[in-house]
Amino acid sequence: MKYYLKLGFILLVFCVVASGILAYLNTLTAPVIAARKAKEAVETRAALIPEAEFAERTAGTGETYFVARSVSDSTEVLGYTFVAAQNGYSGVVQTMVGVDREFKVLGIKVINQSETPGLGANCTQPSFMEQFKGLSLPDLKVDKDGGKVKSLSGATITSRTIANSIAESIKAVQADLGGE
Amino acid sequence: MTFSKELTKGFIKDNPIFILVLGLCPTLAVTTSVVNGLGMGFAATFVLLCSNIIVSMIKGITPSKIRIPVYIVVIASFVTIVDMVMGAYLPGLHKSLGLFIPLIVVNCIILGRAEAFASKNNVLMSIADAIGMGLGFTLSLVVIATVREILGAGTWLGFRVTPLTYDPMLIAILAPGAFITLGFLMALINMVKEKK
Repeated sequence: MKYYLKLGFILLVFCVVASGILAYLNTLTAPVIAARKAKEAVETRAALIPEAEFAERTAGTGETYFVARSVSDSTEVLGYTFVAAQNGYSGVVQTMVGVDREFKVLGIKVINQSETPGLGANCTQPSFMEQFKGLSLPDLKVDKDGGKVKSLSGATITSRTIANSIAESIKAVQADLGGE
Repeated sequence: MTFSKELTKGFIKDNPIFILVLGLCPTLAVTTSVVNGLGMGFAATFVLLCSNIIVSMIKGITPSKIRIPVYIVVIASFVTIVDMVMGAYLPGLHKSLGLFIPLIVVNCIILGRAEAFASKNNVLMSIADAIGMGLGFTLSLVVIATVREILGAGTWLGFRVTPLTYDPMLIAILAPGAFITLGFLMALINMVKEKK
């Protein structure tokens, strides 16, 4: 009995030392990681809607989105940006989307995905993301579903996920703004 | 055994993937591109080096009954350190490897070397073993990834190496391609070994 207590105690000591080191390193790296993520988000937003100032808003449903206003005239709303997310073929696909005042897509950027390399992962290629430009709500479906988004070959699920998640998010933002 | 012998045995003679057949799970998963292979190889080498040093340092005070949980704690801690540091300072690499880093914990090369080597040898020899095994692992990953990336994407390290008319053989970078490539390479190595 005493022997087993001793074993347990030794293991405890190892774990305490290990978690102490990890906790210390976490306090060092967590702010750097958070700052980098925030900076990336700012840069992506600026690329989607240039020459704009962004103000964060939280919808009644809990989602956040950004209202882009012209730098020269802060009353002029240029558009909105938000992150659309939905489960793809293997895990969540997150897409940063910029739309204009009429909710026509200005540009999209897939910021997080873990789809199959060679198939679904091709959604990060510019040729796929470019085609979303200028589409509005009725067209935001893959061609198989009657929309104007040409699916990636062999990755209809990924393409559909991105198109549908953008459409859903646009509806959510519209609903929130309409409620004013 | 001398230092240099311990250092070089991991490259060919005791190559962790092709000869010891350890750590196949991360091998199959990350070798879709040479960049991923290199990143995974160096990350695993770093963890292996740290864990071998610590394990050989604490071999005197670790009761043999609880040595496996102790090794796992040591390895898991270093993996978490790599994950956090990479996430903070090497974001590009972290993005493509993010999914695989936690896999290093269960990479049997690391626990295997802790158990088979570091727990029985001094720190210096354990360092040699870790570097040799780590680089051998990296080398093997690069070899497999080279075959898969050239066949499956027509590129090497991201640069196009095949003529534009070449239509990439997609299966090479999908899961079956990993098994097929590994099988052929292993057969090739066995053939060379038997001829000797």
